[in-house]
Amino acid sequence: MLLQLRRLRPLRTGVQQARPTSSCLFPDPSTTGSGSGLVLQSQSTDVFQNLALEDWIDAHVDLQRRAVLLLWRNRPAVVVGRHQNPWTECNLPAMRRAGVPLARRRSGGGTVYHDLGNLNLTFFASRKAYDRQRNLRVVTDALRRVRPELDVRATDRFDILLNGHYKISGTASRLSRKSSYHHCTLLHSADRAALSSLLRPSCPGIQSNATPSVPSPVANLTDHAPSLLWEELLEALAQQYNSEFGFEAAPRPVDPSDEALFPGVGSMEAALRSWEWTFGKTPKFRLDTRLELRDEQLGARCGAGLHVEVKNGLVESCRVDVPHHWLPPRLSGALGEVLLGERFCPHRAAAALTALLRCESGQPHRRLQNLGEVLLAGMG
Amino acid sequence: MTTSLLTRGPCSAARAAVTSNQGLQRLLFYLAALKFTDKHEWVRVDDNGTGTVGISNFAQEALGDVVYCGLPEVGTQLAQQDEFGALESVKAASELYSPLTGEVVEVNTLLADNPGLVNKSCYKDGWLMKMTIANPAEVDALMDEAAYEKYIRSIED
Repeated sequence: MLLQLRRLRPLRTGVQQARPTSSCLFPDPSTTGSGSGLVLQSQSTDVFQNLALEDWIDAHVDLQRRAVLLLWRNRPAVVVGRHQNPWTECNLPAMRRAGVPLARRRSGGGTVYHDLGNLNLTFFASRKAYDRQRNLRVVTDALRRVRPELDVRATDRFDILLNGHYKISGTASRLSRKSSYHHCTLLHSADRAALSSLLRPSCPGIQSNATPSVPSPVANLTDHAPSLLWEELLEALAQQYNSEFGFEAAPRPVDPSDEALFPGVGSMEAALRSWEWTFGKTPKFRLDTRLELRDEQLGARCGAGLHVEVKNGLVESCRVDVPHHWLPPRLSGALGEVLLGERFCPHRAAAALTALLRCESGQPHRRLQNLGEVLLAGMG
Repeated sequence: MTTSLLTRGPCSAARAAVTSNQGLQRLLFYLAALKFTDKHEWVRVDDNGTGTVGISNFAQEALGDVVYCGLPEVGTQLAQQDEFGALESVKAASELYSPLTGEVVEVNTLLADNPGLVNKSCYKDGWLMKMTIANPAEVDALMDEAAYEKYIRSIED
């Protein structure tokens, strides 16, 4: 019916293609008869675009009468859970150096490393139909079908273990007004060296009630089934999804940045990229740590204490305890004050520090600069 | 019945009966004063006219053990049905929706270190926030306990 309406419009100069709209992708289930399931395959490898697509589907698709499976993967990224603290969960300086972005998802759970060897599956359903074990059965049954020799089992924590102790999949989910989604990772051929080096905290001394990750030894499927191709895995999963739920959905490629298909997805992506969401949603925390200060010119050293409270990602209080012989208290006090209200972020702190340094020279300048550098390093 | 037990004088069985009866009465009092939303939140209008908000027993059971409570800042303005926070449980992260229009005046800070209170005492110590009531008609339109029980039975089928 939509196509007929388009033909009635007068011809314009220039080529005008009939673009698919969301009503084509998600037609009213009552008109499609049985098999109201959809399998979508994202063509994007951008973590923010893919997370935005999840949000869009959760908010706009009527999941009371249909279910959706979304298959996606991302270029290297670290994704923390809704209520986690990135400073305690991952190595922010190493991520910055490697160009690996941080994302915060809306579901709960722990921190994961994403790359092109890590497949993500999102099972969208109504709240009533929310059943994580059933979804994980889709994964384990699919794996057993293509590689019957693999020992894969879902645990009661909703992990999937290979050979009884290597984690190949972790789960998280979100319950909204009427809908739910359950997503999980699946390690096909991820870079395990990058995974372990980036999922290592770099900011000691933090106390918070943020939800912690439960670290586990991991393995890739290809470590134990080297011939398992990515495409083979995707096909097996789509087939098993259909078989488990009685659908007949062929995987459809989608572009998560397509506003015609997903109106409003762009602003959802922008919200997910924002500092206010990624870092600002970190639950309130305290940092108490010792700083090792040096004066290279004199070959001297000194210990100092740093006490910071961070709320909504902003410095709520900051006290630097430096022995008076090392640095005049007016300077360590000024440093604490100038950081108040700033983002708990080395770039912002560096800018504040530069302003302070302009007024000093000689030994105080040298020592304040060192204090600043050490403090910045402690901010991740 | 409670009064006559009290005047009989102390004896542990009678005292226990009185205490459990008082406890039951108190619980009934709390429940009787509660209004419910279809999102399984409850509101109780306090003597000073503020509304205390929490989630129902049905909701806390469905959620499973709560591991984190994300609550709003005091002073946040909320319209009815606005998302005001999230609860993370072993089951999932779930958004919380404001039952009323008003301003947040207090949040339950005990939940920061003890999120399990939401499961253990959802109508009392596990309250989530208190808010002003901009539009009292909104309270009247919510379900009372009997209507809410009926609602739960209908969705469970």
